[in-house]
Amino acid sequence: MSEKIYALLLRLYPSHFRVSYGEAALQLFRDRARDEKGFFPTVRLWLDLLADLAISVPREYRHVPQALLAASASRRLGGAPSFFVLEDESPRPGAFFFGGALTLLAVAGFSIGINHAGSYAGKVAIWSGEPASRAANSSPGVATSSPFESRWRAMLERLGICQPRAWQMKPADADRAMNSAAGAAMKPDTAQRRLVIDGAIANVKAHYVDRDVAQKVAEALRAHEKNGDDDAATDGTAFADLLTRQMREVSHDMHLMMVYSQAKIPDRQPEPAPEELARYRTAMEQGNCTFKKVEILPHNIGYLKLNSFPDPSVCQSTATAAMASLNRADAVIFDLRDNTGGYPQMVVLIASYLFDHPEYFYNPREETTRRSWTASPVPGNKLADKPVYVLTSSSTFSGAEQFSYDLKMLKRATLVGETARGGAHAGVFHRIDDHFGVGIPETKAINPFSTADWAGVGVEPDGKVKAADALKAAQKLAENNLRKK
Amino acid sequence: MPKRKLDPLPSAAFQILLSLAAEDLHGYGIMRQVAEQTGGRMRLGPGTLYSSIQSLLEGKFIEEVDVRGDAKLGHERRRYYRLTAAGRKLARSEADRLAGWLRVARAKKILRGDYV
Repeated sequence: MSEKIYALLLRLYPSHFRVSYGEAALQLFRDRARDEKGFFPTVRLWLDLLADLAISVPREYRHVPQALLAASASRRLGGAPSFFVLEDESPRPGAFFFGGALTLLAVAGFSIGINHAGSYAGKVAIWSGEPASRAANSSPGVATSSPFESRWRAMLERLGICQPRAWQMKPADADRAMNSAAGAAMKPDTAQRRLVIDGAIANVKAHYVDRDVAQKVAEALRAHEKNGDDDAATDGTAFADLLTRQMREVSHDMHLMMVYSQAKIPDRQPEPAPEELARYRTAMEQGNCTFKKVEILPHNIGYLKLNSFPDPSVCQSTATAAMASLNRADAVIFDLRDNTGGYPQMVVLIASYLFDHPEYFYNPREETTRRSWTASPVPGNKLADKPVYVLTSSSTFSGAEQFSYDLKMLKRATLVGETARGGAHAGVFHRIDDHFGVGIPETKAINPFSTADWAGVGVEPDGKVKAADALKAAQKLAENNLRKK
Repeated sequence: MPKRKLDPLPSAAFQILLSLAAEDLHGYGIMRQVAEQTGGRMRLGPGTLYSSIQSLLEGKFIEEVDVRGDAKLGHERRRYYRLTAAGRKLARSEADRLAGWLRVARAKKILRGDYV
């Protein structure tokens, strides 16, 4: 038995060594095994052998057999390069088999790797992209907001759970998740419910922004479980909704929620792949970073139609150029009617041109940091004291709403158009098991303007007109304003 | 890939040369002789033993003499090795080198007494 084991270990040595000394090594092992009987000698023998393997196997692989060294390329027949046969035997059939299998595996692994590379998920915080309803009839052109937004993300967005740290699924998974979310049929049993409730409690306690409330939520979930209130749930979706209601009853936080997905929720978020970033970059470059129109309207009114707030690391120069070309305008109209959000850094970057001192820019999804202030004054900028108008529609969403809301609250802009869509907060999604997850608000940014922001209700315009008429209305307002001066 | 080097001489190779100084031995014999002459401190495993033998053979410091059975170890046939003149010279120069270090150690009063 032990001899067989050692014979197997000998296969670790390169073939030239095995051919020359394999049998002798085995014989030495037999000799020692025969002479060193008993427990301790046997242990010592094996320790010796393992140490020997560890030392000599690598050395053997570094060693070049003399035959190879002898075969130098300088030996030629009549000046022509020639090859020498070093091995007399052809390789074993087994070697061909393993070689073939290994090659197939490598090729398959490579192609699988390419297909399953994670989607680009943005770097810090992507404001919601496309809401699901808009995904179908999105406006023409590239990238209404982010070309890599998945439908899964859109679903979470619709549910009010979208993470600041972008959280994505492969499109195929997302499709399944979307399709199955409606037709959930599984009835969770007591044990499964217990697991989900335990997971929810653990996550809420660990991540919820307010510890006291987290404790209350945990107690409420337990109490309902004990009272048998959860027995009413007939399927996963109903159970998730029930837990959501229970959590909201005590927390009064509309962003705390339970999610059920019949399709498996992936257990980690894929890393953004470089090619996704490259694709985003190309799309942005081709689409002028969603700066759709930059022009000077009659009466020297600057007009910027911006359909998203793109990643500044890709689009900063485009943004700077656009703002520079509006620099001599007497008033500026920001057209955000088709803007569905993007990167908060870009929101702050553009807002920086509208102030002559750093101004706090409230963002409900992020902790207050240095980046929450505008980088004002911008050198050479003349727009800091010019009237600003922002056009909104019922599609204006998320990051675009932040831009509108903050400028309105700072009394820096007049909003014209329709009430915006109302996407502000987001919880961070925490996976509990393959089918359940819980969305938990983890941050609480300081809102200096009001206790409530635009979550769920949208940003109200100052001048309420139909989105289609908003540009004309804003132009009229601007002209009147300029005439007064 | 570098060719296996016997310079500096690994202690395993040196011990193998020493073990063959008195008589021709087969692999297991060399192992036992080395264990004996080092007071059990060096037990050569098959890998180390045969890779050292291989380099010594390539350097022509030892040679294979014949293949025969060992009366004490049954009738399995074994390869026996013999020290060549070059091998003897190599072992002597290595011993000289070590003796040189020993003199240095003695001069630095690292060794107590005079027993070596």
